[in-house]
Amino acid sequence: MIPLEHYLYLSGILFTLGLCGVMMRRNVILVLMSVEIMLNAANIALVAFSKYLSAGAAESVQLDGQVFVFFTIAVAAAEAAVALVIAMALFRRLDTVNVDDVANLRW
Amino acid sequence: MEGLLFYVFGGLAILTTLFTISSKNPVYSALWMIGSFAATAAVFVLLEAFLIATVEVLVYAGAIMVLFLFVIMMINFKAEEQKGLRLSPLAVLVALTFLTLFGRAVGDLGSASGSKPNELVGTPGAIAEVMFTRYVVPFEAVSMLLLAAILGTVVLSRRNSQA
Repeated sequence: MIPLEHYLYLSGILFTLGLCGVMMRRNVILVLMSVEIMLNAANIALVAFSKYLSAGAAESVQLDGQVFVFFTIAVAAAEAAVALVIAMALFRRLDTVNVDDVANLRW
Repeated sequence: MEGLLFYVFGGLAILTTLFTISSKNPVYSALWMIGSFAATAAVFVLLEAFLIATVEVLVYAGAIMVLFLFVIMMINFKAEEQKGLRLSPLAVLVALTFLTLFGRAVGDLGSASGSKPNELVGTPGAIAEVMFTRYVVPFEAVSMLLLAAILGTVVLSRRNSQA
């Protein structure tokens, strides 16, 4: 049996990798992919908690974590669609996908 | 056996994610990311969340990554924009701080650390029962969110849109 901690470590490592991607990549597509990685890492933690931490709870509560994962996936899909369209509009207008070049609003 | 599989697929997930964020070519990144989602789906199977593992492959590896690949193909990157990781000291510091704090928090789980997994299996029927009773209002809210996302996408992708 794998202890709960190992699932959480896996989730934390994947989240950190996504965080590194958001901070270190300048291509807007790659930044969006890293955000998806972070959302996915959170899903692992949710499912692991739903499996391990609800043993004593009522049966109807035990699958809550997995239902949350569905909502997370739906939000991630909506976010990806809208964000990718914004990236394409950015490319059409400014002819760049480098987030450092899109600093028009910065003082 | 189960333990071995977890470490194989967990290591695979970490490795493919590492390749995802470090590949110079965005297309390679997208392909590595499909591998990362497949490995994550295997981890979900080990957690007996079968429906979520299926949805992970269908929605993430199938729909979302195809969307990413379409946009990558439509935007032709200039050569100088295909840079890999840019190591900045601040970013490394933030990542290491987060990892350390996370490790401390997980090491301090207390009474939860020895808990046994429950017997419940994430089959479609079991999840549907929870989702369409207690979570029916959030479920409908998600449908509104998806509708708003569709409308936003259509409006934003019109040519010459002033919005």
